[in-house]
Amino acid sequence: MSGAERERLFLENAAKTAAGTHAVSDTEGLLAVLGRIVATDSPVYCPGVTELEKAAAPLFPVRAADYAAAAVTVEEVFGAVAETGTIVCVSAGGRAVQAGLLPAHHVAIVRRDRIFGTLDDLFAAIADPPPTNVTLVTGPSRTADIELTLAIGVHGPEKLDVIVA
Amino acid sequence: MSPEQTSLEFRKNSVRALEDSALRAAMKQAADTFGTKRAEAFAPVADLDALRDRASAIREDVLANLPMYVDRFVASAVRAGAVVHRANDAAAAREIIRKILADRGARRIVKGKSMVSEEVDLNSHLEGAGMEVVETDLGEYIIQMEGETPSHIIVPAIHKNRRQVGRLFADRLGVPYSDDPQVLTKIARKALREKFLSADAGISGANFAATDTGSLVLLTNEGNGRMVTTVPPLHVAILSIEKMLPKLTDLPAFLRLLPRSATGQTITSYVSVITGPRKAGEATGAKELHIVLLDNGRTEILAGESRDILKCIRCGACMNVCPVYRTVGGHAYGWTYPGPMGMILTTLLTGMEKAHPLLDASTLCGACVEVCPVRVPLVELILGLRRRKVREGFADPRERRGMEAFGKASSSPALFALGQRLAGAFWPVVRALGGKDVAGRLPTPAKTPLRRRRP
Repeated sequence: MSGAERERLFLENAAKTAAGTHAVSDTEGLLAVLGRIVATDSPVYCPGVTELEKAAAPLFPVRAADYAAAAVTVEEVFGAVAETGTIVCVSAGGRAVQAGLLPAHHVAIVRRDRIFGTLDDLFAAIADPPPTNVTLVTGPSRTADIELTLAIGVHGPEKLDVIVA
Repeated sequence: MSPEQTSLEFRKNSVRALEDSALRAAMKQAADTFGTKRAEAFAPVADLDALRDRASAIREDVLANLPMYVDRFVASAVRAGAVVHRANDAAAAREIIRKILADRGARRIVKGKSMVSEEVDLNSHLEGAGMEVVETDLGEYIIQMEGETPSHIIVPAIHKNRRQVGRLFADRLGVPYSDDPQVLTKIARKALREKFLSADAGISGANFAATDTGSLVLLTNEGNGRMVTTVPPLHVAILSIEKMLPKLTDLPAFLRLLPRSATGQTITSYVSVITGPRKAGEATGAKELHIVLLDNGRTEILAGESRDILKCIRCGACMNVCPVYRTVGGHAYGWTYPGPMGMILTTLLTGMEKAHPLLDASTLCGACVEVCPVRVPLVELILGLRRRKVREGFADPRERRGMEAFGKASSSPALFALGQRLAGAFWPVVRALGGKDVAGRLPTPAKTPLRRRRP
């Protein structure tokens, strides 16, 4: 699978899981998407560690120091899996994986060279030894526990956006 | 979970379920929905048979070498910083967990869905020790509030409708009544968020354990499993010993099979792979991780003729297609695990004397075998246990005599014809003797037998 194919398949499968999907080619494009999908008057948690996060951070005037108090988390994630439309969050590098869990809106930026083709490719890359926490996220938090009726946003985010950059 | 096992009352339980039209409608809806979604989810999977073969072979290897894999898992988990406890039975597991919590002064506990914790009746033990234990899976939260037990291993509150849940929440949480699942879900989110943030400890189960890395793997949709395992400072995981996978890289095959088989999803919203507690310089995970490995009779099962049931990965697919389960629902089975896999596991884990009527809960149609993602030979296992039931003297003597008589009559055309005439004549007596729950449900024999009718 070529890089372009992996990206196409990832976006296609992520869209099926009720995630918002976006692809950008430069910082300008990234900022434009973020400006459109993030409510900038709400408290945003953005770690501001990676290059992409540093580029994004100034966009948000109300920064939450603590993800537990944030309405939105904007972060770059470890990678993605094309097969399932999954984003991959890991604890390596002092990352708080739960930052993508507590706020109601999670915006995950994934670099296009970090999209794995299959789950096998992902686990081959992280298994030896794995970081303390690896979380595969596919779509928003959901349940069908009441009469099998789909309800979105149980304990995790009710809204998930993925941006391939 | 109520500790009272009522499997011996299976027939009585079933009759009650059959008279509950709301329950039957809910069960049918669940079975149909999951059945359809399962088929749709597997449709695009290329070479499903090869995938099932591979998963089955991995599970067989685990069972063939289970003590070695469990030791390997323990060593790997300890190396990753976890504390591992071995519990021989339910009482030991309850006490180990109570002590871990009590020693650290933990009073407020949040819990993710875990069938193994239901199996050992953990909650009542911890509550008896003065701890508050809150189930955080939405379905489990609902039935805990109602003081009930799960009726389905994937959707535990499937037997309750939206109006019942709405009234329950209005009653207990003091919120305005609503019967909109989306609104009810938001109410639970708000109530449980406070519990997560103030909890002293989280208790979870695990779907799998990778022996090479010492990792626990949890598949969830709501996010409560992630909360329970990353927000409180202490995480206690309880799992049974057969959940091992040799290598973490074996996991993808099961990620492709389990969610599709369970709910018809390509993958669950979340898959958490947890390897040890939070390390220095990290910002994720509990500061302390305790893993309780439960045997509770499994080593004995492994040595016997029913060992293949331990291949089971608890997807629930066999239940959704079972004509008995779809009709009577999970509560009728009277213990933690219902459906085809449940009747086998219940008999083995609790003993023939406490569960033998469950072995009638199958038509041997084989639908369960067809859908099992890891090729558990469920029908063979049921037949094996039925033979054991007869050998051990638990079969109804009337059934035995009836079968013997039928065997004789059906081997002679003259006797068979006589039998047909007699059956018609004596049917009211048979019904009266058999009782309304057994013979009373059988159709009345035709006046003229089929073989004597001219086409």
